[in-house]
Amino acid sequence: MADSHEVAIVGSGLAALTAKAALADAEIDAVVFGDSPDPATAWRVRAAAIRQTHMRSESDGHCRPHTFPGLAARRAWRERDVWPLLLSVTDRYRPSVDEFLADADMVRKDSGWDASFRRVRIAGISPVPGGFRLEHRTPVPGTCQVCARYEGPFRHVLVATGHPGLNVPEELRGDPRVVHAYEAHGYGERVAVVGAGMAAATEWRNALAAGADVISVRRREPLRRPLNLPRHLFTRRGLAAYHRLDPRTRVSFLRELSAPSYPPGREWDVRVHVTQQVPEEADQVVCATGFVRGAANEPLLASLPRHDEWVELAPDATVPSLTDETRTLAVSGVHAQWAFPGADTLAGMRYVAHRFVRRCRTP
Amino acid sequence: MSYTLRGRLESRLTAALLPIAVAAALAAALHRWWPLEVAALMVGVGVVLDVAAYHPLLRYQPGWLALPLGALELVLVMALAAGFHVRAPLEPAVAFFACSWLWTQVLGHAAFPLMRAEYSEDGGELAGAGQAAAAAAVAVLALGGGVAWATRPPVVHLHGVVRGPLLVDREETLVGGVVRGGIVITADGVTIRGTTVIGGDYGIEIREATRVTLERVTILRAREDGIHARRSAVTVRDCTVVARPGTQGIDISFAMHDHSEVSGCTVVGGRSGIEIHFTMASVRDNVVTGSGIALTEMSMGSLEGNVADAIACSDHSFCDVERNTASSFATTYGSEAKLRDNSFRRAHASADSVLER
Repeated sequence: MADSHEVAIVGSGLAALTAKAALADAEIDAVVFGDSPDPATAWRVRAAAIRQTHMRSESDGHCRPHTFPGLAARRAWRERDVWPLLLSVTDRYRPSVDEFLADADMVRKDSGWDASFRRVRIAGISPVPGGFRLEHRTPVPGTCQVCARYEGPFRHVLVATGHPGLNVPEELRGDPRVVHAYEAHGYGERVAVVGAGMAAATEWRNALAAGADVISVRRREPLRRPLNLPRHLFTRRGLAAYHRLDPRTRVSFLRELSAPSYPPGREWDVRVHVTQQVPEEADQVVCATGFVRGAANEPLLASLPRHDEWVELAPDATVPSLTDETRTLAVSGVHAQWAFPGADTLAGMRYVAHRFVRRCRTP
Repeated sequence: MSYTLRGRLESRLTAALLPIAVAAALAAALHRWWPLEVAALMVGVGVVLDVAAYHPLLRYQPGWLALPLGALELVLVMALAAGFHVRAPLEPAVAFFACSWLWTQVLGHAAFPLMRAEYSEDGGELAGAGQAAAAAAVAVLALGGGVAWATRPPVVHLHGVVRGPLLVDREETLVGGVVRGGIVITADGVTIRGTTVIGGDYGIEIREATRVTLERVTILRAREDGIHARRSAVTVRDCTVVARPGTQGIDISFAMHDHSEVSGCTVVGGRSGIEIHFTMASVRDNVVTGSGIALTEMSMGSLEGNVADAIACSDHSFCDVERNTASSFATTYGSEAKLRDNSFRRAHASADSVLER
């Protein structure tokens, strides 16, 4: 079994926390390298920015390694109330954001996250015989130079770095009116919301609720489809068919999944002005344009073989060219979509974490 | 959850291990095979549905669907139990099914995901321990079946004419032949199939025996009743009785704690064709010529689809009377009868009785 010198997680978000929890459940120690000691920091800021009150995932959308007890069962137990369980069996339980974050804090505590965390930004991963060396750069005191330092080698490394950054369209960069939807913000009187996905739909509602005059700036009509992926794509049954797709078809499939969309339903039908250009008279421009996409924008993954914007991965989310019986390089979070189309969801992170645990168990 | 076929089968069989073990223990304690037979039907119906229906039709199965699917499986299991003549008492059999279903839900929703983190991702597959448990479930079932087969009552084939009276005082199955002078049954679990009985004081007399089955028997020229059961639980199917005047074709009496059944019989003559005294019974689809059918003396039961000269529910009995054809129907002496879709030329109720239409 792997020990603390053998397993490393690069990244400090929810994907990293999920992996750490799964490893702890399997009694495998791991070192976590990242920017933030609180794995929920980035997610918390984004959820607050778009005024998200409830999770989009269901009861088992949490960071724990086992789906049971999920958030519904925990709440039912806590409040001695079967209603959350009844909602859960009908797929209608949406935990609150506070509930999810409190649970993430518990997972952080239970998994020994704090003891394993090292505030180090990894800048490179180098394969060495039997493992990987992690490179980071630290300033040389008293100079403006940096020196490279190395950690490891580690036999098994999971890259869980998350989204490379917020996406702001080229033509809007530098515009003082611009704020990204996932950054903390209030609302002006005339708000232009750029984008046509879930974040944009949320911002239309938020801005209208704040009394603003809302203009939707979009190049095409958004798709209306259920928010979550078809459920069978979260299990071996659906994934077997997905993994059989040839690379070109898989790219098309992932492209279609990534297209901006928001759910059908009256609650999302709001009246907004629609234009294709940001109007001059807007006093605030909210960019609901998601994240910078593509592994090419993630320095740790940019050099790996890709299909279009996706890193080529084996079904267990490992990098085939760098994984063998002596070592593992695996990817979790949004960059693992080649292995698991819902990789940027909590269920997807758990899927990758379980596969990574299996790899770490290899003698 | 999106089950793989293997996941469905592994989960089902593993979950069935405990109910099968309980059924085996019950069978041993009660000296009855019905718990194991019901368990086997339960597993069989489930596996067939998994392969033929659930897997191809349900790519995703929400939690709530377990309830209607469970109800469907219960109906199929009970229908098959009736079809295969499994002698399972209704309420305990349904309770056994319900407890097994509940146990399966607890395992599927809580215990399996707790034991195996990848349970839902892997579509219900259980890997090593689960596969062993599933194999154990099949093995226990097969073992129970083997023991049942090895210890089944002996089958005695009668050839030609046998001189009676014949005493059957151990559990066995008699098949075919002609018995002159009657048959007396004093043991539980006796089955007589396709036998003709001629003469005797009673054609077939059953004394204090349960689980007695008479199938396709023919009774001729008995001095008293054709079939005469006392303090016994009897299932009589597809029989033919020719009764002498002043006697009773079939008389089942004094067995209030057991359930008897008479179905598909043809009774000719006698003072009364089918007579039930102080017994719980269902009397279905019989044809009685020259006499009638009576549930009497605090009996409880149903009369369905019979054809007779007269039908009666009397002496503090409770009767469900449905789809019968007769010249007359009477409920008397403090009895209560519920009538539905019958064809009676006359229906009469005494002042102290209740006739509900």
